Amino acid sequence: MTEHDALTPAILTTGLTKRYGSTLALSNLDLAVAPGEVYGYLGPNGAGKTTTIRLLLGLHRPTAGSAHLFGLDAWADPVTAHRRVAYVAGEPFLWPSLTAAETFEFLASVHGGADTAYRSELVDRFELDTSKKIRALSKGNRQKVQLVAALATRADLLLLDEPTAGLDPLMEMVFRECVQEAKRRGQTVFLSSHILSEVEALCDRVGILRQGCLVEEGTLTQLRHLSALTVEATFEGPAPALPDLPGVHAERIGANALRFEVHGPVRPLVNALAQYPIATLTSREPSLEEIFLHHYDGTNARHDSTNEHHRG
Amino acid sequence: MANTATALRAPTVAPIRPASARTALVKRTFRDARVRTIAFAYVFAIYSWLQPAGYRKTYPTLADRIAFAHSFAGNDAIRLFYGYPYDVMTVGGYAAWRVGGTLALAAAIFGVLAAVRALRAEEEAGRTELVLAGAVSRRTAFRSAMAAIGTGTALLWLAAFLGFVVGRLPVAGSAYLALAIVAVIPPFVGIGAVMCQLAPTRRGALALSIGAVMVFWLLRVVADTWGSGAWLRWATPLGWAEELGPFTGTHAVPLLLFVAATVPLLWAAERIGATRDVGAGIFAEHDTAPPRLGLLGSPSAQALRTERGTLASWLLGVSVFAAIFGMIATSISAAGISENLQKQVAKLGTGSIFTPIGYLSFVFIVFILAVCLFVCGQVAAARTAESDQQLETLLAHPVSRTRWLAGRYVIALLGAAVLSLLAGLLTWAGAASQGVHISLPRMLEAGANCLPVAILFLGIAGLAYAVVPRASAAISYVLVTASFLWYIVGALLGLPRWLVDATPFVHVGLVPVQAFRTTDAIVMAAAGLVAAGASLAVFRRRDLLGS
Repeated sequence: MTEHDALTPAILTTGLTKRYGSTLALSNLDLAVAPGEVYGYLGPNGAGKTTTIRLLLGLHRPTAGSAHLFGLDAWADPVTAHRRVAYVAGEPFLWPSLTAAETFEFLASVHGGADTAYRSELVDRFELDTSKKIRALSKGNRQKVQLVAALATRADLLLLDEPTAGLDPLMEMVFRECVQEAKRRGQTVFLSSHILSEVEALCDRVGILRQGCLVEEGTLTQLRHLSALTVEATFEGPAPALPDLPGVHAERIGANALRFEVHGPVRPLVNALAQYPIATLTSREPSLEEIFLHHYDGTNARHDSTNEHHRG
Repeated sequence: MANTATALRAPTVAPIRPASARTALVKRTFRDARVRTIAFAYVFAIYSWLQPAGYRKTYPTLADRIAFAHSFAGNDAIRLFYGYPYDVMTVGGYAAWRVGGTLALAAAIFGVLAAVRALRAEEEAGRTELVLAGAVSRRTAFRSAMAAIGTGTALLWLAAFLGFVVGRLPVAGSAYLALAIVAVIPPFVGIGAVMCQLAPTRRGALALSIGAVMVFWLLRVVADTWGSGAWLRWATPLGWAEELGPFTGTHAVPLLLFVAATVPLLWAAERIGATRDVGAGIFAEHDTAPPRLGLLGSPSAQALRTERGTLASWLLGVSVFAAIFGMIATSISAAGISENLQKQVAKLGTGSIFTPIGYLSFVFIVFILAVCLFVCGQVAAARTAESDQQLETLLAHPVSRTRWLAGRYVIALLGAAVLSLLAGLLTWAGAASQGVHISLPRMLEAGANCLPVAILFLGIAGLAYAVVPRASAAISYVLVTASFLWYIVGALLGLPRWLVDATPFVHVGLVPVQAFRTTDAIVMAAAGLVAAGASLAVFRRRDLLGS
């Protein structure tokens, strides 16, 4: 990697917008993914994840804004950009009459080469029978064919659109190992996914997309800070009535237990609790799932996150 | 009390009525086929109207008609296209001959296409599985598909009937002639349905079915052109349609043959379909194979690999018909043909077709049509790669869109060139085998003469693909077919020159009897290339579109 490369984002979108007729599929997306980064792209069905990837690949044309891969315009110069990209689609659209081995050969020649030794290793790890024709493979196995073909290119950027749909848990683990290996080698990974544990385990940064808008973005730590901290306290005796504290929402969960949702600094709550006989005190950060559900579900997601930003 | 009773009552679920499932399935299948059904209905109606109208115009007097009957229509070589002429001295008899022979073949093709689409294509796409997972039996699914095709058949009958009536044929006769044409559909639906049970893929079922149509057509051709083979007419549904004798002495008995052929075929298809695994066929498919790495080096090479079965079928079909046309050319003779009639036929631009060479020039129109349909088919195959989303997989690689599409065009052009030259070579060989002296270079020139108009239609099909991908296949096929029919009947109708000239086929010189029309050829090829170029520019700038 040259010095110039290290400075050029692997993915850079500015005001990227796509309309299909009257439907706004993607609105004003600003995204920057640095080389070597593993970026998790989360969002409910129909949020615009696949649209984003199609725009990144120059398969669909932006209504406004632009997408660049390694500084190359994704729409204007797709062929040059794709030399450094490998793509795994959410649905494996391959050629039914080719065997897996023939598919590898074809896709390698189309891509302009592949690491065949690494490919053989991947075939073993993913337990693929390469003599089988694509039409005879199950969806999960066809997905493996796509994954092996993409990983074997050792491309600088892996665009993965729900790559583990249809994989069994064992193969899911193999996939995670492969992504971690890719990361160690300095490859950039853009992982669109529904599987939160997968994103939590693999990604440096996460973006959450809802109805075509990027509603939240940051490292997992940052995202957790943006959400409430949960504190539960049990008391030696009946739970007291606490005074109202700013940014703290209290709830009685038992005769002598309280739960607090803390938005912002936790110190006022700790100071307040210190006056009472506490038996146990637990606190836990929100899981990605909670952050995710919060953004998916809440119609006032925007509003909430604006409030949260005030804490700074 | 009342509350408890309410609480205990089973939740109200609308009862499943088998009839509603059946209606839904019939509607679904009919909707899936609507573009094809409408296109066929349109062609049926126009063709049925044009033939009686054109005949009245061309042969106004009895004398003209007698001359026509004794010459043109009596030629074996003409029968090959239209079937056996029972009575071409009345408008009705003529229409029955000209329309019946051609549209019966179209009806056969409609039958197999409809069956394969409704049965195997649905199964291959996994939708049959979805339907059968509901409260629907295999029998209901099968019969619903057949009912939908039956509805389409009724529409085609109506289209042909209306065409004849507007062409001022008697109403009862029109109804019967239209029936004779669409009666061909059910047995071929039966054949298609059986092939869907045998072959595990849509492609396979289609290849087998189209092969069957060709065999039955060849049987009719032999029966109509070879005196001692007339009994063969009873061996093909296309012959039964002739035996029904619309306007020429109605024999309704062959109608029973249609029923007798259709019922066992459909019964067999339903039985096999009820006992086999969904998604599988009787012919086992090989699920594993040692890798064959030929033709995988580039997207174009791989496209050629995918299309090689189609190419082989076209080569075989063109070869067989070219050889037959060549061999039959000796039977042509100009004896006893009135000058007036010769003039009328000359309106087609054929010059004298009553010599072997004139005849071969005339039949070459069929190859020109075939090559044009072939290039449309190749563009349609490119669209299929896009709608099946394999193109998305491909274009995520460093593959240029324009190079990909241009590669498909090159394959189409090379295929067209091979087909054209093969047609020239084999008509020559067939004619030479019967002692007709004809120059090989001239026949190869006749072959090459197919190409300019094929390039034009390649450009048009390409442009349709780039601009309106979803409707492009239908548009290009209908344009080619309509242009061809316009060419065949436009001149006979005595329309103004500029209207007749609107079809590209008019501008094709009929080599070898006429000279190669260089200017027209250059204009058509150039227009085709410009359209193809424009299609590349448009395709470069549009979103990829799934099905």
